[in-house]
Amino acid sequence: MKHETSKLSSRWNTIKYNAGSFIATAILVIACSAAILPFAFMLSASLMPGHDVTTIPYRWIPETPLWSNYLRALKGSDGSWIYLRNIANSFIVASSVALSSVILASLTGYGLAKFHFKGRNIVFMGIMATMMIPFETVMIPLYLTAVKFGLQNRLIGLIFPFLTSAFGVFLMRQFLLGFPDELLDAARIDGCSEFQIYRSIVFRNATPAIATLAILAFRGQWDNLIWPLLIIQKEELKTIPLYIVLFTSELSTDEGAMMAVAVIAALPVFILFFTMSKYFLSGAGVYTGSKI
Amino acid sequence: MMGDRRNPLEEKRNRWGWFFVAPGIVFFSAFSLYPILYAIWTSFHNKKLLSLKPPKFIGLQNWISVLSSQDFWNSVRASAVFCIGVFIPVFLGSLLFALLISSRKKGKRFYQMALYSPAILSSVVTASVWLLIFDPRGLANQFLNTLLGTAGVDHKWLADPVMVQLSTILVYVWKQVGYYTILFGTGIGKIPSSVVEASMIDGANSWQRLTRITLPLLRPTMALVSVMIFISSLKTFSTQYLFNQHGAPLAPINVLTLNIYRTALSDQNLGKASVMSLFLFFILLVLSWLQVKAGGQGEELE
Repeated sequence: MKHETSKLSSRWNTIKYNAGSFIATAILVIACSAAILPFAFMLSASLMPGHDVTTIPYRWIPETPLWSNYLRALKGSDGSWIYLRNIANSFIVASSVALSSVILASLTGYGLAKFHFKGRNIVFMGIMATMMIPFETVMIPLYLTAVKFGLQNRLIGLIFPFLTSAFGVFLMRQFLLGFPDELLDAARIDGCSEFQIYRSIVFRNATPAIATLAILAFRGQWDNLIWPLLIIQKEELKTIPLYIVLFTSELSTDEGAMMAVAVIAALPVFILFFTMSKYFLSGAGVYTGSKI
Repeated sequence: MMGDRRNPLEEKRNRWGWFFVAPGIVFFSAFSLYPILYAIWTSFHNKKLLSLKPPKFIGLQNWISVLSSQDFWNSVRASAVFCIGVFIPVFLGSLLFALLISSRKKGKRFYQMALYSPAILSSVVTASVWLLIFDPRGLANQFLNTLLGTAGVDHKWLADPVMVQLSTILVYVWKQVGYYTILFGTGIGKIPSSVVEASMIDGANSWQRLTRITLPLLRPTMALVSVMIFISSLKTFSTQYLFNQHGAPLAPINVLTLNIYRTALSDQNLGKASVMSLFLFFILLVLSWLQVKAGGQGEELE
């Protein structure tokens, strides 16, 4: 009798476990579908004529893929292929910011992590304190500075406020705190100068932190809208977000091409994500204090 | 520190630290410290954009006029509604998804990547895609009508004052849930397996394990995530900007960032814009303080 009930209860447990497992999977599948569905819409709509994008009911598979949407997306309203230039601008700005962030943040982070100079803590706390300043607060003074030095309508005007970031310094410092001192001392005994040590030993061996920071900085500027809105008025100097704003207001009835614009804008970041997802996810991990 | 100073050679070498941090100090002084001081100065002056007249000191006039204007408090309301509207679903959703993913044996990576993918998209691209989904003849209406069994009703996602707030929140929730799912996932991963195993030996069922072990141990991550959600939703701009450009009513979604931008650019009133931006700074300061208290970066700062 006792044997029977325990068998029954164990079967009941199995059923309960399977049911729970099924519900868990179902919730996750629904959530993932909801996450992915707008991407599917973006892709399918980018190959449709405008009026098909708003047909009821929506047909997910375009009857005949309309690749010319992508041509119109690149040509822009006046047919001058302005989008290509805007994409190039975004690349120039985002890459420059990524490069300078990595260099400046690693220099500062290295100084803070490995040298016990007087006032180090004050410098570190000061830099960390700037992390709390929202960009919107310094935006207007920075804009006036840009006007004063004639940096409006110049790509350098898009770059200078983002040459480095407090978060970048924090990230590099945390990473370099764990860098083995023996390696640095060995190089010193070999007669390397302090700058040589930084360049050929520290910088070369900080790849995980550098990659994480480069991606964060690149994405930040690829995404930036408010600052370019202030600085750039000339079409040929605009970046992708500004082009999207323009396209959605001027050619809002050409929905297919609008989604082609979106797909083209999303592509580089997605390629970056699928090739370097480790560093994307570690960028998130930094916040929770986990080692990268 | 003391040990280093005893050795003159090391002391000499440590001065190199200044060489390495100097470029950083120059940058942060020029592009963070100076601008924030300038913003404080501007908030007490009558400064117009593109005006050649020298700005006049007007004391607290900007502060009084901003803090007594309905437009400003409407923005505070809009930002608060947005933050809370985003916080509840993002917090609960990402916690739930992270717990569910951690309970799966297979496909963890897939679930994580799929949920995280919206976070990769630029916010302007995101807004432009959802602009079409919220079209009167778009997917959002079709989906809701199928769900409610009401054919052909327009729910005015971008036109109705209440709906447009919901729409901006929806976009942000869609974009952010995956990011915090990863953060919670990292937090769950750090719970020592010995604790979990010990509880299983003691005969705790899965509900008890969740409520007595996992959730209490996740408390630091929860605190960190909460503050991060609030800080990031306070900084929202692109969605509201693009929706408004596209004809959505301004007042319901005139969040602080958008109001600062418009006051500075459209009204060209830099004094008032500075007051609002300092108000935003103050809120973020309080939130950052909470974040430091909640652990995470706080431990590192010590």
